[in-house]
Order: sequence, then structure tokens, then C-alpha cells
Amino acid sequence: MIVVRDADANSSLGARLPRFEDGRLLRGRGRFTADTPPPRCLHVAFVRSPHPHALIEDIDVTGARSASGVVSVLTAADLPHASLVDACTVPGLVKTPQPALAGERVRFVGEAVAMVLAESRALAEDAAERVEVRYTALPPVVDPEAALLLPPLDPALSSNEVYRGRRATPGLEAAFAAADHVVSGTFTTGRLTAAPMEGRACSATFDPVADTLTVRCSTQSPHLLQRKIATCLGMDVAAVRVLVDDVGGGFGQKIPASPEEIAVALAARAAGRPVLWVEDRRENLVAGPHGKAQRVELALALDGDGTFRALRCDVLGDAGAYSFNSASALIEAYLAAGLLPGAYRIPETGWQVRSVLTTKVPIAPYRGVGWTSGHTARELLIDRAARLLGRDPVDLRRQNLVRPADLPYTTPTGMTYDSGSHLATLERAAKLVDAANVVPGPTADGRYRGFGISPYVEPSGWGSAGAAESSWSFASHDSVRVEMAASGAVTAVVGTPSQGQGHTTTLAQIVASVLTCDPRRVRVVTGDTAGTPLSTAGTRASRVATVIGGALLHATERLAAKLALVAGHLLDADPADISFRDGRAVAPSGSVGLAEIATAAVVDPAVRAALPEPDLTATAFYDPPATYSNGCVAVVVEVDPGTGRVDVVDAAVVEDCGTVINPMIVDGQTLGAFAQGVGAALYEDAGYGADGSPHATSFTDYLLPTARCLPRIALEHLESPAPHTRGGIKGMGESAMIATPGAVACAVAAAVAPLGITVTHTPIHPHELVATEE
Amino acid sequence: MSPDDPLVRRAADPITVALTVNDRPSRMTVEPRTSLADALRDELGLTGTHVACEQGVCGACTVEVDGEAVRACLLLAVQADGTEVRTVEGLAAPDEPLHPIQQAFTDHHALQCGFCTPGLVMTVHHLLAERHGVDDGEIRTVVSGHLCRCTGYQGIVDAVRHADRTWDRPIGDGSG
Repeated sequence: MIVVRDADANSSLGARLPRFEDGRLLRGRGRFTADTPPPRCLHVAFVRSPHPHALIEDIDVTGARSASGVVSVLTAADLPHASLVDACTVPGLVKTPQPALAGERVRFVGEAVAMVLAESRALAEDAAERVEVRYTALPPVVDPEAALLLPPLDPALSSNEVYRGRRATPGLEAAFAAADHVVSGTFTTGRLTAAPMEGRACSATFDPVADTLTVRCSTQSPHLLQRKIATCLGMDVAAVRVLVDDVGGGFGQKIPASPEEIAVALAARAAGRPVLWVEDRRENLVAGPHGKAQRVELALALDGDGTFRALRCDVLGDAGAYSFNSASALIEAYLAAGLLPGAYRIPETGWQVRSVLTTKVPIAPYRGVGWTSGHTARELLIDRAARLLGRDPVDLRRQNLVRPADLPYTTPTGMTYDSGSHLATLERAAKLVDAANVVPGPTADGRYRGFGISPYVEPSGWGSAGAAESSWSFASHDSVRVEMAASGAVTAVVGTPSQGQGHTTTLAQIVASVLTCDPRRVRVVTGDTAGTPLSTAGTRASRVATVIGGALLHATERLAAKLALVAGHLLDADPADISFRDGRAVAPSGSVGLAEIATAAVVDPAVRAALPEPDLTATAFYDPPATYSNGCVAVVVEVDPGTGRVDVVDAAVVEDCGTVINPMIVDGQTLGAFAQGVGAALYEDAGYGADGSPHATSFTDYLLPTARCLPRIALEHLESPAPHTRGGIKGMGESAMIATPGAVACAVAAAVAPLGITVTHTPIHPHELVATEE
Repeated sequence: MSPDDPLVRRAADPITVALTVNDRPSRMTVEPRTSLADALRDELGLTGTHVACEQGVCGACTVEVDGEAVRACLLLAVQADGTEVRTVEGLAAPDEPLHPIQQAFTDHHALQCGFCTPGLVMTVHHLLAERHGVDDGEIRTVVSGHLCRCTGYQGIVDAVRHADRTWDRPIGDGSG
């Protein structure tokens, strides 16, 4: 079923409700980690490696220790601890433990080797310049292909290849042998970084009396960080408390525990004073984890009429210096392969995945993870096939997309698309940019126009089932608690912090939809591992709406059942006859408001006498089945062949994330991800030189899209409610970041094809598009 | 040059700066190298001004100094001596309704994580104080002086266009 949503619904679910968190953020009263330094805290400046690869011979901290305002200078030798290791359980993946501070060897420019603790950040930075580190330089490992042949970055490993796997359906080779056409190509996606406006930040306070550590951190996963800190410091999980209030963007970068965060925790315990680290932009760019950086080699087998028969790929992932903790090196290459067929019916697939270590910042999740790289390559290849066969790119896709009658549809890679609007979103997106009338090639004013379309599927709402369909093991243990006070005010307590997604509003809408009350009566509480139910995974993988939303529906229904018992007593009615309407419990005999019920439950002895446990607290656990969002991005670009400048002149996103909780929030997620996708396709590049030095060390090198880089984007929402998740909810936060780079790259490729220029990688640099005279 | 001249003091000697912040006289004693952004945050507790790049690219730290929108990370606190500074906290008192610009931002979902927001709001405040009837092209040009990683800017453009109509203000000279 596909529903075209009206502008506003009456229920709290689906209402375009302005966010409750906006007022304080707009008044400058947000609380980010740097805004609340612990009393008497010391400030950290890290000493970072200038070498991509070197042995550490000696670190002389005497000059720094005597510098003004310095309390302590710490190296790996001062801070014994267990290293960070990824938790990925994919068989064959080699583990690469990463210390909080490098002790023997540095493996990327920016890796921390020492930390200065001083009375201010400025004094700490002054002293950091006086730490003398003697290195013996080793050859950098920059090119992933060459990395396979070079000595391993870790002497304990036999090779820089940390993973090699392959999988194929039985009929793959026969399908290629029987194909009328085989189209192939190799596509690379450059290194990106999430670049949240607030960089990483962390403070830690050790209590020697209680033997506990309190950490405040800009993180997406407080429970994960709690566990990592406990493991690295040899403490009990319960002795570590992680707090998080406002987070200035995450986009995946703040999922893993950062080595620096472990170092801050260690330093607080060692120094006997609280410690605060607020990274600067250079640190975030050169030492914060990166994303993408994949090479995807693809071949597509087609029948003479354009029917897709088989698709195979070879993905080579550049993992950086370590298979990073939490999601591992496979967060890119492996997931790229898993979503290989995308939204298309392709009966046979096969993949080989390799992931290799290089002397660069480790790869961590960044919005869209490996799906972006695989998707971009596939869409570029489909356009290449369309040009070869003389087919319209929309029509070739229309022919091969999953159709309504195919649903539920299981891909040869093992994903079962539960529902969706794959064809409908394609048609709408094409219409919104008037694709039928975009003529690719030169325009009257000497520019070159191109159109790109990119229908997508997003595996969303990861619990264990969704993860398993991506051949991934994923600790997703999520509980929630809903409580009603005597006043009738409702509190929903969850373990997933927000980094701007508006959970304070959307999760309140979900709870209010059950109680039929005003969502403003529901307070959403999160951000403290001491008081919130466990969420092992935290906020990532577009999972909060589905997993936490579903859990809240369960818990609130349990609360409602308790309220019905009390209301039944008050109304002299059978609780089974009670329903909720406009914030009141309604029975045939009359009705009673939520506040009245709650007050009675707390203070009325008659209620107590009738009901042994009139307790208005409910908890629930939810591990949803797999579900898949879908949609389509369409763009029109114009390329100036003289300068190589690309302008996105028109764009549309039609998305389908099942039941929409708050269409305004969905709009915002879509528009933001679209902008990041344009950045990925055209501007952002966290690449390295042949000498292993990072190119992007400031926002004048790492170019984020600005308001001038984007046209007005047309948005539409179709709704195919998930048939198996609570509330029909699917996740959608990454969708436009999966599909937009491919749409833009296809549009640019179409525009410059008449010039004989092909597009094989993103970001597309202007100089590659300048027409040269033969 | 008198020995009291800041230029001849030792570079690290703290200097007292007197300025007006959000209509209140304020004094703070800072190292000469302290940026206005750090001083507002650390000395006056005005943590609504955010620091994200410290080189004037992103605009998150924008405040008004004597009515001009400036990047507080590029101005030393000592340079602000004797000026009138307005920060995001000075647009609407906690017990007052949101400023029409702030209201437009929430109405049009012009913020997500809220980290770049205070600086943007101050630039928009400066823009609209001087200009009436701005069009989308002009709005996008002004907003392109700020980096926002969350919103894709569309809600921001809508909010500015809306605030231009709803903020009841004197006609400026249009030179902004």
C-alpha cells in the first residue's frame, strides 16, 4: 500500500510539529561538551605524529613538563591500558588493536603520541610544541593496491590485507556466459570525513573514593563508550558513567570510541584532576575517523532487451591504519557488496571483498557507510549500459526495478525487501525535474547539461534481523522506560542521544500517539548511562525511529493497560472496555483524564486497595525485523567546459520511509543528506599525497557545500508502511547520502559524455571536466 | 610609547578589557592572544557563541560588534575593548518570546544539531537589520558565509525569507 500523505494529520503521529529542543538551541542555551568543563579541570593538547609511518625511538617531555601552566605530560609508557579492538564477528577479519597513545610505531599523520595536561588549552598547546619525539621514518603505505605488496603495518600481521572474502550465487558464471551484453567499469569513491560542526570533545572526572569515572562526551553511543572505557581501563562497566547532552552533529564519526577519549579517561585517573579535551578543526580533519575510500570494479550482464541478468563486483577497501573499533574495516567494503543489487531485480550476483591497511586515518562509519560507494558505482555502470544500448536511463531502470508484484522481494545477497514503492518513487522523481525534457549535452549558452537518476534502497532500523540480512553481527540490545507522574506528565527514558535528529520531539509524538495526549506532555530523557535503559548500539544506522520508536510503542501500551486498570476502577468499568481519546480514558460509563488517573494511582487508598501494584512505570525491549526504506534522487546539472565548474540546477528527492512520524524531520534529514551527497560528489576530499601527508587540514581544503552550491530541492513523501515493524516505521537518515552522489555523478557523466570525458570517481574535480583541444 | 601601552607589555601579561555585552557593561581580564570568542565563552560564560574552525571559515562564532557581524574567532578580545557586542543570548531574554528570526528558524526547521545556529542567527540579524525585502539569491549569498552540516540550508533560506516579513523593524539604509 502506498499512501500519499496530506500536509498534516490530526494524530500526533505524522504531525509536522516544530521541535521542542529548538528554543534553547536558538537562544544559545544548548549544552555541548565544551560548554560544561568540570570544575578545576585540566585541558588537553595532544602531540601528534607528523609522519605517516615511523618508529618512535624516544619521547623527551622534560621541556614540556617545565613549561608554564603544565601539570603533566603523558605518553603510552605512563598509561598502561588494553587497546581498542573492533567487535565485528565476520569470520576471517584480522584484528588490529589500537592503543590510546602510540607507543612504538605511528601509522598515520595525526596519530597521538603524547598528551599535555595544563591549566588552559593555550598553555597545553604551548607545551606540546616542546615535546621532542625522535622518529625513524618508514615508507608510507598510500595506495591500497600497493599495500598488498608492502610489509605489514603491524609486525604481528602477515599482510596488510585484513580481510578477503567472496560469495556468489550458483548461476553467476552461466548468466555472464549467456549474456547478450556485458558492461563493466571500475569506480572509486574518495576519502570523506563527516566534519560535524562540533568536533569530538570529552571530559572525564575520576572519583577515588567511589572508584568511579564520570565521562561527558560528544558521542552517538554512550553505552558503547561506557563499555569500551571500562574494558580499556580495566574497570567494571557499572563504575563508568557516560553523560551526553547536545551533540553538534555526528553522522557516524561519533559512533566508535576515539583513542583520544580513552586517553582522556586514563589521564583523569592518573592526574587526580578532571580532564577536558576539545578537539580543534585540524585535529578533526587529520585524526578524526574518515569514511568511504573504496574501489569498486563491476560487471553487469544484460539481455538484448536490457533485462539485468547478473552483477558482480570486486571491492577493495582502504581501511586506513587500523580496523577501527566498533564497526571495523568492513563497514565500507562489506556493506558495499551486500547492497550490490540495490533496488533492481538481478537474479545472480557475486562479489569479492578485500580490505587493506594503509598509513591513513582509520575508516569509521560515515552516513551511508559502504552502501554509498557500491550504489554510486552501480548507478554509473547502469548509465554506461544505457548509453551503450541506446536506452533512456529512466526507462532502463524502470524495466529492471523491483515491482509492486515482486514484494516481498529477496535479493540474491539475502535481503528481503518487505515493502516499498521502487517504481513509483522513480516516476515521481523523474517528473519533478522534468527529466523527459532534459536534453543531455551542450546548451545554447555553451554549458553542458546532464540528468542523473538514482533509485535507492536503504537497509534500515538495524536490530539483529536487519543486521543478519547484511551478513553482519550487530549488538543491538535496546530497552526503553515510560513513566507517568502523579501530575499526568509522561517521561520516556531512552539510551539513544540525538545529534540533531529531533528525538525529543519525534519520540514524544510516538508516546503521545498511544496515550492520545499532547506530545508536549511527554518529556524525553536520554544521555546518562546511569539512568537510561541500555542501548548497546546507540544512535546510528537509521535505527532510532524503528527500534526505539517500536520499543516506546510497546512500553506505552503497557503503561496504557495499567492506566486502564485504574480508570476502570474509577469509572466502575471493565478495563477491557476502556479506550483513550483526547488524553482521556473513555468507558461506556464516562471518562477520566490522564492526570486524574495518575493522581489516583499515586495517592488514592481506594485504588491501592483494589489494585496491588498501581505502578505507572512500564519498560519494553524491542528487536525489530528487517525493513527497507526506498526512494529516488534525481538531479540536473550544468557543466562549464571552460572551467569544469558544475552547478546542480534542479533536484528532487522522493522518499518512502513507511509511516512518517514527523514529515518536517524527514524533510530535514533528506535535505541535509542530499547536501552531504553533493559534497561527496563534487567538493569534499580528504585524500593523501603520495608521501602520506593529508591534503585536507582545514575548512579551506576540505570544502563543505554552502547554500550557494545547492538549488531548491523538491521533496515528496510516499508511504509504504513496514508490514512487520511496530507502527510501520522504517529508518531514513542515510537514504539521500546513499543515493545523491550517484545521481550527481551520473548527471555529470551524461553532461560531459559528448566531450569524450568519462566519470569514474568521486569527488569529481573541475580539472577533470575541462574540455581539451585535440 | 608609554610603559602602559599594550604593545610594550610582555605578550603574556593579562589585559583588562571593558566592553558592553548584550546591553550590560562587562569587564574581563584576558591574555592578549585570547580571541573574543574564547573570552565570551570562558570569561563571561556566554557559551552560545560556538567555535568550530578558528580561522573564520565556518561562521559559527559570529557575533555583532558595534552593529557589524564579525567572526569572534578572528577578533582578539583586546580589540573589542570599548565596543558594544551582541551575542545570540542577547536577541531575546530567557523570559521573553523568541526573536522573530529565532521563531522563523524553528518554524522552518532551519536547525538540527544547533551548533552553527547561533552564528547564523547573528548574521541574519545583521542582514535584516539593514535590508528589507531580500530575495532568495541574496539570502543564499549571505548564508553561504556559514557552514551548516545538517540542514542542506533550504530551511534556513525559508526562515530568513519569512523573518524578513515578520520582524517588525525600522527601515534601514539598505547599504548592508
